[in-house]
Amino acid sequence: MPEIPGHGSFIPGDSRTREPWHINQQTILRVGILGAIAIALFAFLAIRLWALQVISGNEYLKIAQDNQIRTVRLQAPRGSILDRYGRVLVDNRLSQSVLVWYAELPSEGDRPTRYTVLSNLARVLGIPTRKLIREVEQRKTDPLSPVVAEQDVNRWQSDYILERSNQFPGVEIAPRYVRTYPHSPLTSLSQILGYVGIANEEQLKSDSTGQIAPNDIVGQSGVEAAFDSYLRGQPGLASQRIDAQGRPRSDLIPNPEPQPGDTVSLTIDAKLQWAAQKALKDGIQTARNSQCNGCWNADGGAIVALDVNSGAVLAMATSPTYPASVFSGRVTTSKLARWGLTAATQVEKNYPAIDRATSGLYPPGSTFKPVTAIAAMQAGVLDPTQNLHCTGAMWVNGKKYSNWDPNANSMINLPTALAISCDTYFYQLGRAIYSLPQTSGEPIQFWAKQFGLGQSTKIEIGDQAGLVPTKVWQKSHYTASQDRTWKPGDSLNLAIGQGNLLVTPLQMTRLYAAIATGKLVYPHLLYSIKRDGKVVDAGVSPAPTTINPGALFNERLQAIRQGLDLATHDPLGTSTPVFGTFPIPIAGKTGTAEKYSQQYKRMFSQAWWCGYGPEINPKIAVCAVIENGGHGGVAAAPAARAVFQAYFHIKNSSYQAVTNSD
Amino acid sequence: MLETAKPLGTSMSHGRELPLAVMVRQLDWILLIGIAALVGYGLWAVAGVTAHDVPGQPHYYLAKQELYVGVGAVLFFVAAALSPELYRRHWRLLYVVAILTLVLVPLIGVAKRGSRRWLQIGSFQFQPSEFAKLLVLLALAGFMAERGRALRDRSTVFGVLILVSIPTALVFAQPDFGTALVYAAITAAVLLIAGTRWSHMAVLAGVALIGSALVLWIMPALGVQVLKKYQNDRLTGFIHPSYNPQGATYNVAQSKVALGAGGLHGRGELGSTQTTLGFLPENHTDFIFASIGEQHGFVGTSILLGLYLFVVWRGLRVLVNARDGYQAVVVGGIVAMLVFQVFVNVGMTMGIAPITGIPLPLVSVGGSSLFANLAAFGVLIGMQMRGERSRRGLR
Repeated sequence: MPEIPGHGSFIPGDSRTREPWHINQQTILRVGILGAIAIALFAFLAIRLWALQVISGNEYLKIAQDNQIRTVRLQAPRGSILDRYGRVLVDNRLSQSVLVWYAELPSEGDRPTRYTVLSNLARVLGIPTRKLIREVEQRKTDPLSPVVAEQDVNRWQSDYILERSNQFPGVEIAPRYVRTYPHSPLTSLSQILGYVGIANEEQLKSDSTGQIAPNDIVGQSGVEAAFDSYLRGQPGLASQRIDAQGRPRSDLIPNPEPQPGDTVSLTIDAKLQWAAQKALKDGIQTARNSQCNGCWNADGGAIVALDVNSGAVLAMATSPTYPASVFSGRVTTSKLARWGLTAATQVEKNYPAIDRATSGLYPPGSTFKPVTAIAAMQAGVLDPTQNLHCTGAMWVNGKKYSNWDPNANSMINLPTALAISCDTYFYQLGRAIYSLPQTSGEPIQFWAKQFGLGQSTKIEIGDQAGLVPTKVWQKSHYTASQDRTWKPGDSLNLAIGQGNLLVTPLQMTRLYAAIATGKLVYPHLLYSIKRDGKVVDAGVSPAPTTINPGALFNERLQAIRQGLDLATHDPLGTSTPVFGTFPIPIAGKTGTAEKYSQQYKRMFSQAWWCGYGPEINPKIAVCAVIENGGHGGVAAAPAARAVFQAYFHIKNSSYQAVTNSD
Repeated sequence: MLETAKPLGTSMSHGRELPLAVMVRQLDWILLIGIAALVGYGLWAVAGVTAHDVPGQPHYYLAKQELYVGVGAVLFFVAAALSPELYRRHWRLLYVVAILTLVLVPLIGVAKRGSRRWLQIGSFQFQPSEFAKLLVLLALAGFMAERGRALRDRSTVFGVLILVSIPTALVFAQPDFGTALVYAAITAAVLLIAGTRWSHMAVLAGVALIGSALVLWIMPALGVQVLKKYQNDRLTGFIHPSYNPQGATYNVAQSKVALGAGGLHGRGELGSTQTTLGFLPENHTDFIFASIGEQHGFVGTSILLGLYLFVVWRGLRVLVNARDGYQAVVVGGIVAMLVFQVFVNVGMTMGIAPITGIPLPLVSVGGSSLFANLAAFGVLIGMQMRGERSRRGLR
């Protein structure tokens, strides 16, 4: 190539004088490099695309599908709770909850502003705006779960919000099942039925079935908790397409549908329960009216009615109490406080949260005497026909032990001792048992346990074990050496159901059922569980156990029964004024147990009556306790009688009731 | 008596411009169709990708993009019609305009998502850095043309570096690291095609490597943050993507899911949940390639990449047939710009290139990018039409 000025230069020459710019080998090489780089980069992209889209496409497809589907748990309608005759005690109703979804609230610059939406909502719901805003702002980090602004709003509120949905972006009205109580005046059942609530951390942790998820509603106490696995049903799942902000973009498609909970029938007879509740209320009032020493403080109590043969709880009332609906729907502290269900108000309202029937601990007083008698007879220190001297008081180790009747002075046998409830008679049994050699063990405690005291009755809703003091317990419980040793006085106190002995009304009812039949039943509340109308096998409570079978034992038990019959029918019987003319023969025992009040620094009499009927082929055992109710014959016995009356369908007019036994 | 000695800006009366009829006859229709096909593919893709972005307005972005294409087409033909001589001579003016608009951005610009890149003119916002890519390329090539006799000198290389460093620094400050990288790519292409010594190229490559290591690794390790934290995360995120799925690499994670879920044939417009349900951010701008991948699968993405490669091939052909070295450098720069932007954008959606905010040329919704790219292709076509007839044999 001839030497041409400008060759290879970048300046185009004048076409008239100069050859055009010629590409040279060097430039070709460089263009080639550029092209090669382009091809290499594109090939790299294509290979990566192939790997991403074709080879691992299915993996990413799954991620994309998971991305867009939100699985929602659908609440199953909770099972109903019925009484033994199918009366509905607890049911569901739909309530409206107001939810706020953070992601859907207006963002910066939108109209209406976020503040307007939240303050309007707070106004409609009647809650403080500041509180609502704070709750919503706290959910900023978790935009996919809603804030429950308010539960169980009324129709007006939900309609207001629904009709103005454009003014309330991000606010949702969600239906939810809440518990409802068709027999709402039956408040004495509240503690037994229990309540439901959002599963707490402990419940989530201890759930072995793996069925409980956060925010699930589970039973928190009582029957609701005991049969929760049946009542709660199977929550359904529903999938819903959502966008990246968590906003729903499709309807909920349930799969599977929620399975409603099972229907749980209780052994409770709602009518008898109603009678028991009324009897308890009247009994407390009777005690107050009696103006006995300390009866002004009569403010609580319990009544239990058991089927003596099966152990089915027919009625179980406690007082004071609260309406079960307090825990349903919108639960507020002020509502709880009004019913004494908060730590601050429970003392003033005398602990209404406690179910006194299963968990109230009382000294049994004279109602315990049959156990002492059995123990003495079994230990061989008492012959039922043998007469002992019933006196007004008795001195042991220089200490005076008084009879409730200071003028008593007669030779009596066991049935009469039970009938007139002679304390000194039983002190003698206590002293005799104390004097037994070490090898004889502790007969009173042994027989107390044989009759189910000092241990849980295993009722489904849980209960208190109570306390049967033993030498071992005494030694471990006290620190001072003079308290640690079991003394004759301890045996004497135990013999008349005092001292450290503590029982529940349910335990005592069970004990009297055992006296009636010779068998120890297992108190239970479950009558049946039905799923879609078919009975589900939920396991039956243990069959009653026969106590120490043997001819001699039955004979001795018969002596006790005779004593209890005299107590209600003999002219001297402690509850003859109440039961003497009752058309159905009822046997039972009064009790007046002394209990120390920390609050008033004095002793109060706990009024007891326990018994069963009819005396031949017994059907039902009843115990009534009136706290600070004075003598058992005054308030407790009439309360128990009212339950028998309802059970045996006896009209007031059919017999002459003696209501005042003074 | 060299033409170069003549002052710049003299009239074009020396008759070098070919008659229009000749130019039209020379036009590479295949290249033109390739460019048109890319733009058409882009509109088709935008229609599908953005159908659900604005509720009730399925054509919101499509209509916008169609308007941009209309304006861009005018720019394309104007750029093609203008004689390359004109902008070769006025490279200083072009350079000053580029610098001025870039300087205006931090002064009167509009900030979006923490980055000040836009100028507001009436109701239209435009991004000077997009246009500056082309202007800077033309300026660099013009500078090279003036130094025609000293192309292989070290001083020329330095001159180029100084010229490019000012706009690079300006876009870097916006901050727009992606466009700064594009300037680097353009510079590399200009130096390569202009015939810079291999030794100089090697030194520059080494400096670039050490420089990136300093900025990304050594300086931060010493406690000096050159890049903002989010930039550093984005640039290095693709190296360790599982580092923080909700943070800087969230977009990339969702983008990969979108691409992968598309599979071979795509999930269609309605089934593309990543795109339509908003899991994929910027689905019509920076991450449109991932949306295309989700809706149209590997088939769709490979056709798009094929179209780009096709245009690159026709572009390199223009380079070889260029009328002079100046035009060759400009064409080389335009081709390199295209290749680099496609690679970085597509690589970003697959997690193999840093997140830089570079749009996909001719496809991403956005006026500035489309105008700048169409203008660049107009320049390319203009140079093709003015190329050497005699070199047809090289086809």
